Amino acid sequence: MLCDICKKNEATIHIKEMHGGETHTANLCAACASEKEKNGELSALGFNLAEMLCNLGKISSVLKPPQEQTQPERATVCPNCGWTVDKVRNFGGRLGCPECYKVFAPMLAEAIKNVHRGSVHLGKRPQSASHDGRAALEAELNNRRHELDALIKREEYEEAAVCRDRINQLKAELEQLTNGEVDHE
Amino acid sequence: MNDDIDQLLRNRVSFLADAGPDEDIAISSRIRLARNLAGHRFPVAADSAELHGICDEVSEAARESGALGCPACFSFDPEKMNELDRELLLERRLASRDFLNRPTGTRLLVKDDESRSVMINEEDHLRIQTMLPGFQLDAVWKQIDELDNQLGSRLDYAFDDRLGFLTCCPTNVGTGMRASVMLHLPGLVLTGQITPTIQGINKLNLAVRGIGGEGTSNQGSLFQVSNQSTLGESETQILERLNTVIGQLIAHEKNARQLLLQRDQFSLLDHVGRSYGTLRHSYKLSGEEAVNCLSGVRVGVDLGMFTALNIHTVNELFIGIGAAHLQKAAGRALNAAERDVCRAALCREKLKA
Ligand SMILES: [Zn+2]
Ligand SMILES: [Zn+2]
Repeated sequence: MLCDICKKNEATIHIKEMHGGETHTANLCAACASEKEKNGELSALGFNLAEMLCNLGKISSVLKPPQEQTQPERATVCPNCGWTVDKVRNFGGRLGCPECYKVFAPMLAEAIKNVHRGSVHLGKRPQSASHDGRAALEAELNNRRHELDALIKREEYEEAAVCRDRINQLKAELEQLTNGEVDHE
Repeated sequence: MNDDIDQLLRNRVSFLADAGPDEDIAISSRIRLARNLAGHRFPVAADSAELHGICDEVSEAARESGALGCPACFSFDPEKMNELDRELLLERRLASRDFLNRPTGTRLLVKDDESRSVMINEEDHLRIQTMLPGFQLDAVWKQIDELDNQLGSRLDYAFDDRLGFLTCCPTNVGTGMRASVMLHLPGLVLTGQITPTIQGINKLNLAVRGIGGEGTSNQGSLFQVSNQSTLGESETQILERLNTVIGQLIAHEKNARQLLLQRDQFSLLDHVGRSYGTLRHSYKLSGEEAVNCLSGVRVGVDLGMFTALNIHTVNELFIGIGAAHLQKAAGRALNAAERDVCRAALCREKLKA
């Protein structure tokens, strides 16, 4: 099948879009897809995310100069579950186990950035997770800022003052963590 | 096992039968959370023994914590069920197609009123679900947050400090949360505004899906709006974004219905009347025709055209006309032609004023 855009290259990337409740498939070659991706057009479409994730892996490997497309990367295997780069692609971007996130981190980073609105978790944490790590502080800071906006909008200024104090405290703690890291180096 | 299915079948489906906010346009609100157990392979990579072990571990956690009202909850092992009973779970929106397609090691736990459930070993070890009638995502979130805490206090969830809850597919990583509202948008469909509206919503990083068969064009003007991004925002922020957009969508739909009434009253009345006539007087009804007619009648109920007809009766019919539900009601397997006859009989019966 030829690419819908250039009508020259073989289409290797198939993106499902919804239009008026109907599904259309855009068939693109890697070059045209990466062009679209660079222009930020892909993120504006309502396509299948899992598919895109898997295809982005293909795009980045196509875009890399041949000498960088090293054997070791292709040969990466998760020691915990035996998952490989090929399996990630064959299973639509799916991973084999929680450890895979570390093993395939370089390959996942870009894709995760493209699919989500941010790259750090700001939501709920399990009760067992630590509450003094940097990410936990960042998450609370984000939530408190949000809360502060809402309080000010509702003109609940006393509550807002308490919230602002907590925000300053969190900022200080984060700064301390950053300085601490520098000291250790 | 079969007793459980029969009991389930006798349940009122509360997310369709009970009243909810904005229920004239919003049919139901649902949230799903993806969770996985640390130290286990995801279902796609696990073997049968590991999958069955996970089923037992999660069931045990549910039983000990009393989540889902367990041990008094329903527990279904799809691999031990016949095709018809499995389809019934799908039609009641308790199980996904992917879940039922897995060959082994899956289990479904359901609270007796069907408002809360957990699919074990779908794409992730746990897919926790809560559902309420109408447009009330915040109330749904409260319920699922509690359910997640109950289970999470007894299970070791796979969690990364920066990436959040680790899921089989990185499209769900972070909060692992997929929140959706099922909307009835005939006004936007009839006025031709639905396509630009969907495109607009897609640009906001939210997904719109037509309901009535995955991949097929939408039936009955039913749409599901959900979040796509699960990382980089808190659950509350995601829900706020959804609430704003869905609130606007509901307002648009109301305007569109007003517009139809003002500009083209008789076309709208004709559409509703023909839909009602078909359901009330047919002897053969395909699933698609029934869904489209129910959609038409639903508009009429909202506009106050049928004082004797309750909107929840119409809502419940959306599920009752499903192939599996018809066959369970008939007590035997039915071919497509027989189902059309039974479907028409059910609609005639339920719409009898
Ligand atoms: Zn091309
Ligand atoms: Zn792995």
